[in-house]
Amino acid sequence: MIGFLLFSIRRAWQGFWRNAVMSLAATVTMTLMLMMLAGLVIGLSGMDAGLRFVEQKVEVQAFVADGTPQARVDALVAQVRALPEVADVQYIDKTQALAQWQAQLRQQGKPDYSSDTGTNPIPASILVKLKDPHVYGSVIQTLQSAQGVVTDVLETRHVVDALLTVTGFLRTAGVVVLVLVGVTVLFIVVNTIRLAVVARAEEIEIMRLVGASDAFIRWPFIFEGMLVGLFGAAITLGILALAAQPIGQAVATVVGQVPIQFDQNLGEQLVAVVGVAGLGLGAAGAFISVRTYLIR
Amino acid sequence: MTTTLLRPVRQLAAATLIGPRRQAVAPHAEPVTDAAAPRASIALEDVSKVYPNGRRALADVDLVVPDGDFVFIVGRSGAGKSTLIRLLIRDELATSGRVLVAGRDLRRLSRREIPRLRRQVGIVFQDFKLLPHKTVRDNVAFALEVTGTPGRQIRPAVERVLALVGLTGAADQYPNQLSGGEQQRTAIARALVHEPRVVIADEPTGNLDPLISWEIIQLLLRINELGTTVLMATHNADVVTALRRRVVALEDGRVVRDEIGGYHREY
Repeated sequence: MIGFLLFSIRRAWQGFWRNAVMSLAATVTMTLMLMMLAGLVIGLSGMDAGLRFVEQKVEVQAFVADGTPQARVDALVAQVRALPEVADVQYIDKTQALAQWQAQLRQQGKPDYSSDTGTNPIPASILVKLKDPHVYGSVIQTLQSAQGVVTDVLETRHVVDALLTVTGFLRTAGVVVLVLVGVTVLFIVVNTIRLAVVARAEEIEIMRLVGASDAFIRWPFIFEGMLVGLFGAAITLGILALAAQPIGQAVATVVGQVPIQFDQNLGEQLVAVVGVAGLGLGAAGAFISVRTYLIR
Repeated sequence: MTTTLLRPVRQLAAATLIGPRRQAVAPHAEPVTDAAAPRASIALEDVSKVYPNGRRALADVDLVVPDGDFVFIVGRSGAGKSTLIRLLIRDELATSGRVLVAGRDLRRLSRREIPRLRRQVGIVFQDFKLLPHKTVRDNVAFALEVTGTPGRQIRPAVERVLALVGLTGAADQYPNQLSGGEQQRTAIARALVHEPRVVIADEPTGNLDPLISWEIIQLLLRINELGTTVLMATHNADVVTALRRRVVALEDGRVVRDEIGGYHREY
């Protein structure tokens, strides 16, 4: 078994370099495809993180008109809390709201001029947390119908919907492009291995005549296809590792306001996805080639 | 199939069997394979081969080659020699009839078993079929490598067959550095390295001048003396006539002569 593996891997290695131009072309195409795959994974992961961030935030925020009697506010809060869709209702008065806003400014390192005005421009608000972030029921209407109490209602529904649309589009478009590139890669691997088979036609004939089993004839080619995938994956992950730092910084500058928390295991996920995709595609292409050109 | 057709095969099989088994064989009692299989390297029963294009390459061929025999197959180009050899190495299946090699019915051989059969049948071609970028030693070792022989067994086996064919001194040379005769001896060493039961040589002297041809024949004879069955397809009338061995002549896919003796001029 070990002898078989050594033999197959040695021959795969020889085969890879025997037709280096074609093998490297296949590897570059494979790398390109895996880069797109990695990009899609990262993009979707970021979108998911953004979505999660938005969803876990307060879903509905109603700003309370200044000078509203506390009794009316309490009545509205009680009314909203009674709704079946609502998980929690929180009332933030003007002082708390100002304090939160100032805290946010400090966190972002921006100067705070609010103390200069002498008044508090920040309105009080009612924060509503929904049981299911997608089910609003009559929460919005209830808040909006409280004439004189609520000046404006902010809902994250639009933001969530927009994010969902973008994520959905990205996912669909990404998968379509990925499948197209994947098929191209498959064809290139099939062709590369076919050339390897042709280059070894004489050897294969001799192997058959001296009684080599099918495994000894086929597996070196499958390993050769996997080698293309392995090299492609290694190059892709190498480029990603080198690019991670600068890209991360660029992203932080652009969306620094939103504390998006990427999945902690994104790195491992990328290694797994890119590695499996590369090896799988290489092996699949080689397998098709071997089936088509070697079976007799 | 009719017993009358098979009778000559049975009788031949019985006649060529040696040892205690011989008494046990009653010509009419047992089917030929049961008696012949353990002791015949090759047995063809009423074999026909029709190619998909309709060409009939072999017709009703009966042939038994006992273990240790040396047989010439003669006949014009297109007489069916190559087809016969391809049937024997299970490169093709007979259209009808049975082909037994080393005791195995080739039609019943599963895909997995074909390689194992081929290790029992060493084959040598007119064009040597050596790998140009491998040395003599590596060409021979290749046959063991690709059949999963453990590395430590390869070297001694290769040295042994190289000594047998007299190529120990040329082991590190490449095929293009060798004479035709040496190349053919390399091919013979490769055919022998699995210690096959049968060596099939398809026109082994076809590309060689007469003197070198005799070297190759001498080598095949020595291999035969060591106990390996040798089946050699040839056009070389001088060799066939001189050796006085069993000669099977094919014509239009039929066996027209099977006897000890010379090469008839018309082939």
